[in-house]
Amino acid sequence: MTRHIFKLIWHRKRANFLLITELFFSLLVLFGVGSIGVYMIENWRRPIGFSPEHLWVVNVDMRVTGNDTFTVSQVETMQRVLQAARDLPQVENVAGALLPPYFLGSSNRAYEYKGRRIEFGNNEVTDGFKDVLGLKIVQGRWFGREDDGARYLPVVINAPMAEELFPGEDPIGKNLAPEHEPGAEVHSPSPTGPVMQEQRVVGVVAAYREDGEVDGQVAQALYRKPLVDTDPSKRENRPPSTLILRMRPGTTAAFEEPLVKQLQRVAREWAFEVKPMSEMRSSMITFAVAPVAAISLVAGFLMLMVAMGLTGVLWQSVTQRTKEIGLRRAKGAERVRVQRQILGELVVMTTLAVVVAAALVAQIPLLNPLYWIEPHVYVVGFMMAAGVIYALTLLCGWYPSHMATRVEPAEALRYE
Amino acid sequence: MLTNYLKLAVKVLARRKFFTFVSLFGISFTLAVLVLATALVDHAVAPFPPEVHQDRTLGVYFTELSGEHMRRNGGAGFKLLDGYLRDMPGVERMSIVSYPNGVYSYLNGTRIHSYVKRTDSEFWRIMRFEFVEGGPYTTGDLDAHRMVAVINEATRRKFFGGANAVGRSIEVGGQRFQVVGVVRDIPILRLVPFADVWVPYTTDRSDEYRREIVGDMMGLFLARSRADMPAISAEVASRVARVPTDDKGFDRVIAHAETLFDTAARVLTTGGDASVQAPGKRLWFVLATLALLFMLLPAVNLVNLNASRIMERASEIGVRKSFGASSRILVWQFLVENVALTLIGGAIGLAVSIWLLWLVNGSGLILYANLRLNYRIFLAGLGFAVFFGTMSGVYPAWRMSRLNPVQALKGASR
Repeated sequence: MTRHIFKLIWHRKRANFLLITELFFSLLVLFGVGSIGVYMIENWRRPIGFSPEHLWVVNVDMRVTGNDTFTVSQVETMQRVLQAARDLPQVENVAGALLPPYFLGSSNRAYEYKGRRIEFGNNEVTDGFKDVLGLKIVQGRWFGREDDGARYLPVVINAPMAEELFPGEDPIGKNLAPEHEPGAEVHSPSPTGPVMQEQRVVGVVAAYREDGEVDGQVAQALYRKPLVDTDPSKRENRPPSTLILRMRPGTTAAFEEPLVKQLQRVAREWAFEVKPMSEMRSSMITFAVAPVAAISLVAGFLMLMVAMGLTGVLWQSVTQRTKEIGLRRAKGAERVRVQRQILGELVVMTTLAVVVAAALVAQIPLLNPLYWIEPHVYVVGFMMAAGVIYALTLLCGWYPSHMATRVEPAEALRYE
Repeated sequence: MLTNYLKLAVKVLARRKFFTFVSLFGISFTLAVLVLATALVDHAVAPFPPEVHQDRTLGVYFTELSGEHMRRNGGAGFKLLDGYLRDMPGVERMSIVSYPNGVYSYLNGTRIHSYVKRTDSEFWRIMRFEFVEGGPYTTGDLDAHRMVAVINEATRRKFFGGANAVGRSIEVGGQRFQVVGVVRDIPILRLVPFADVWVPYTTDRSDEYRREIVGDMMGLFLARSRADMPAISAEVASRVARVPTDDKGFDRVIAHAETLFDTAARVLTTGGDASVQAPGKRLWFVLATLALLFMLLPAVNLVNLNASRIMERASEIGVRKSFGASSRILVWQFLVENVALTLIGGAIGLAVSIWLLWLVNGSGLILYANLRLNYRIFLAGLGFAVFFGTMSGVYPAWRMSRLNPVQALKGASR
């Protein structure tokens, strides 16, 4: 039966080649949209480690020139600002951070580790960060007084990063300094390069995803911002550019203005902006979802177009094959068998398109241009695309194949 | 001859309504999406007011400090622009303006978000803003550090409910400014002039910006004529190469004076990497590839539809061939037919895209968007339609012209 169908397809190879080409391109479109969809849904379902409820974010513009330069007075002012915020009765707890959650833009570092590129988000946070966000420690400890004046930079990483960098090992005490393999001893720094300090992992949090639900980044490291001494030669003393405030439940937006005024009083040259974190969350989600929605909409219309075109082409091909079908009917083929033939041809052609597309798509995880996307996303995306394309062709083939069964043998043969 | 082809085409289209509908649906949808994309690109980089002199304006939008171990990227710093790039031959006017910075104001307990841009007074001479009230601030205002501001209509509505604003004062980002002028809203896609509130750069809280090589500024250079532009670019390059880096760890300053399109290309294809050369070409390549890829599936769909209908016209082809029509003439006929069909689809697509643009404008996704069709977009749409019609018409036309006349007349397989 299948061999027979292949022969039939080969007989009309030119028209069928065009059909297979169209199915192939449709598959690629569906695969693209499907993979993006799977990727986003998987991200959405992973825990983010915190809830934006009752959290306010204060952006501090302290007119710092570069990334690394700051003055003693800036550190002192920041200490006063943090204290002023903590003293307010509406504020439960305060933390400073280089970047707030749901911030458009990020700070990343990368390792080439065992031939793989491992990229992780990094942030610098004060000791209050864990309690303000409600992060859960699963291994080791959070930052504390014992880190004051330590010769190493303490780091807390999230569980996915621990798993990726140190699978099956205890991450606590490992060194994260760049230019070295993670966990390796720090060698004497090169004479021209910056001095590399040991970056010691002291703890692991269950989850923390900086961009929230739409964040695709898995690995995240939090460095400690001690803010205890004011030595401007130490990079880690740079004042944080963001404050995260846990507000007492019931604090309304009306408190935003007095809060800014209060902070302004402590630091006259700086500028402050307050925003509830939930607002940052919704703009982040809009930012991530809007382009995907637009692409999906376009893909939906493309599929509608393909479906209608396919129906037309199949219909046309059935009318052209009246003779052939009439002959089969005259020789005693049942209607079901005729319909099965037409649909069978369609399934075989779709399968050909799926095989070619699969061969092409299989290159993506091998070349891995988007290394942060796990291969199974492509697999699930392709399976969804294949499922949709089979359903689509069978749906489009249904009416034309049904029409084929209505062919009257006598009428069809009269044309000969 | 052409009219005959077109008459025939209309007859064929009217014969099978479903096929015509499917073809037109695909064509008009494809072209509507392409026109929408073109309008977005056009909206960002074409010389709309206030950027009336865009064709002879160069800008330094990105700067990089580069060292062996470190790189620092950002906008241009005030010190780089003011200290090293003034008084260049061929430059008619030069302006230093900051990137828009989002700040908050509070009015009766509600928060108002606005973008503030710090500029000099030359900015108002290079750009042609349409003032609905008052006028720009002057060099005297800058020198005297006067707290004055020009606001847009949206800001006037938010703060004063649309009443006259000149002479009244607003508080943005914790600073109080007196309004001297009100201009029409500028869409956010027009990054160079865009803001809600424009203030003199000397009103900044601290003078720190005066010491920056990499900062949040851009420099605009209005050339005397288009012919001066390459020389200005070269002069900027040679001057930037001599700028000391100040910071230890950096040994080189990288910045280019380039057109807005090149800059848009830099942002879109490299995320604003100052070290990439000639990004404009790269963007053209990326855009053309995307458009072509997008057209591929609709084209194959249309080819399929057309090819499957060849037999429908077998007798017509047979008759014409027996009376001596060459294959070439037949190819032309079918090609003209298909292009005519695409043009009809294109007209529908254009109408659809006007509706889509109206939707985008109203959605608020792009702040102050004012997307409209113009002759550039119309021409691009026409180009897309003709290209698409040819792309999807050549193969079926070739197939039709190759029909054997005897077979065709016999009605080979109906």
